[in-house]
Amino acid sequence: MNKTETIKAAPVKKYKKVASLDKKKARAGWLFVLPFLLGFVIIYLPIVFDSIRYSFNKIIILPGGGYMLEFVGWENYQEALFVDPSFVRTLTSGIQQLLLDIPAIVIFALFMAVLLNQDMFGRAAFRAIFFVPVILSTGLIAAIDEGNIMLDYMEDTSSSIETGSNQNTVAEIISVTDIGWLFNSMAVGTELVEYVTSMINNIYNVINRSGVQMLIFLAGLQSISPAIYESCSIDGASAWETFWKITIPMVSPMILVNAIYTVIDSLTMSTNSVMSYISNVYNQAGGNVVSTAMSWVYFLLVLIIIAAVAGLLSAFVFYQRRD
Amino acid sequence: MNATRSSPKVLKETKDSIRVDFQRTSKWTRFKLKYFNAAFLGHMVFVIFRTVLLIGISYVILYPFFSKISSSFMSREDFVDVTVKLIPKYPTLDTYKAIIRDNYYIEALINTTILSVFCGLVQTFICSLIGYGFAKFRFRGSGIIFLLVIFTMVVPHNTLQLSMFMKFRYFDVLGILKFLGGGVIPSFKVLGFTSINLNNSYWPLALLSLSGLAFKNGLYIFMMRQFYRGVPDELEESAYIDGSDVFRTFLTIIIPLSVPMMITLFLFAFSWQWTDDFYTNVFFTTEGLKLMPDVIAVPKSLDTDYAAQNLYVAAIRNTCGLMILFPLIIVYLFCQRYLIQGIERSGITG
Repeated sequence: MNKTETIKAAPVKKYKKVASLDKKKARAGWLFVLPFLLGFVIIYLPIVFDSIRYSFNKIIILPGGGYMLEFVGWENYQEALFVDPSFVRTLTSGIQQLLLDIPAIVIFALFMAVLLNQDMFGRAAFRAIFFVPVILSTGLIAAIDEGNIMLDYMEDTSSSIETGSNQNTVAEIISVTDIGWLFNSMAVGTELVEYVTSMINNIYNVINRSGVQMLIFLAGLQSISPAIYESCSIDGASAWETFWKITIPMVSPMILVNAIYTVIDSLTMSTNSVMSYISNVYNQAGGNVVSTAMSWVYFLLVLIIIAAVAGLLSAFVFYQRRD
Repeated sequence: MNATRSSPKVLKETKDSIRVDFQRTSKWTRFKLKYFNAAFLGHMVFVIFRTVLLIGISYVILYPFFSKISSSFMSREDFVDVTVKLIPKYPTLDTYKAIIRDNYYIEALINTTILSVFCGLVQTFICSLIGYGFAKFRFRGSGIIFLLVIFTMVVPHNTLQLSMFMKFRYFDVLGILKFLGGGVIPSFKVLGFTSINLNNSYWPLALLSLSGLAFKNGLYIFMMRQFYRGVPDELEESAYIDGSDVFRTFLTIIIPLSVPMMITLFLFAFSWQWTDDFYTNVFFTTEGLKLMPDVIAVPKSLDTDYAAQNLYVAAIRNTCGLMILFPLIIVYLFCQRYLIQGIERSGITG
């Protein structure tokens, strides 16, 4: 008994006052993250909490400054889901449209990143142009471009604009009949043909929304070691095979990141139909709490979609083991 | 190749050097072999396809800007004229003049510059700091805190619109002001108010930026974290051995290293703050500080009551957009070099 006690006591004395490097570093880590943590606890968490609280209440602003809450239970949610005539319809159609956009954006971004990664004349200029939408077509400008009849007018070659009225003059680049023959021999439904057509006609929108994804893919492509490509070409692999067997697996983590980023970005983008519907409701009554209830319903759906996408894709992700 | 067929003819031979004349394959044969094969032709087809595609997409991206620029010089008569497309018949600068005169453009420009430069710099620094904390230090709870960062990215803005407005309308830190103002115990009253109204000032955005909660800051933190993960640990270790502490190492070694990445972040933060319409709408009322969203309006002095009114109004709105973008374009031209560089060096890996 005595023996063991003395053995135990010795190391405790030795390390008593001196914090190890790991402990010091852990403390420093907390300090680095502190601004976020403080902000989250003091500002963000109350905001989220209030938002949830408001969605169960009615707000009455008092004349002397200050406000009063009246608890109404699930009434706001009931109004959003059952009373409001078009919320559920906007929600389903909006989410459906966004889910269809996401593969198009990710595939387009990957394709363009592969092209922009190649050695060619004027690469810097093309890259500069391709990232213009990331910087210049956001927020206010996107709001202006929404339903911009001036652009439709400029793209439209056949003039039916004497009145300048807001007609549907969006120019179609191709139509279903144009590419129907491409899919004739394949056993696919007309849905796919229509999907491809709508994506091509929507190319401006797709380009505008795939800038950050392109950057992430470019970074991923840059980080693939050239030695792998070299050994592939020595073994006689064609560019096509190299793309599918090397490039795709190596950038698959980025595909996951980009898919999730695209989901988040397009679902929380303020110009999409659901978000603009919600902010319309918000502005109508000057701080209508029903809009808060609506956006919490929407947020739950977003979370489910993100979880589904992440779960689905992470099965296919290949991580290179580094040593 | 042809050594066996025709041996080289010796032209001149001295003790130190020898000049010979080899017979080459004929020019035409060489030309044929070089260019008329499947590999080269296939490559050419691909190059042409690629160039056409890239130019076409560049056109799709840039055309709206061209048409906006050209329509901004058009007078209202041009919009009625069917023959006018891109080049105005009666070019005028009236639209620009009217926007500068009537829409508080200069005021909005100055205010937005102050706001965006401040937010851009603060967000760049704070997000680097936080990203570095996540990348290089293992401490208990770092995983959970990082999940919180992702959470701030995922919550749609509109969800928090109302409560964000309320939070800064009746600003209070953890109920301290309410306590001091007598809101909890009526007899204990130090201050004459229970909350501060921070709206219509730079404070809400400054506070959000300082804590890495402003627009898309989750993305910035994520980007910086990935970047710092690629920085070798040996760099810091050697600094620690030389006696530098953690913060000095960060300021003198890590920050200079990450300048291209930080310029990328600044470019994002600056330009997204510049064209932001969500936070400015929540925190600033139209009577308060003039910011960029206030510029978008039809100037009073322009008479739009004319045949192609809708088109003319749309063109005026687009001109407002162009004038908002103008300073941004200059910044982009200077920074776009770093945008690619910074991202390329980051080596973001999932």
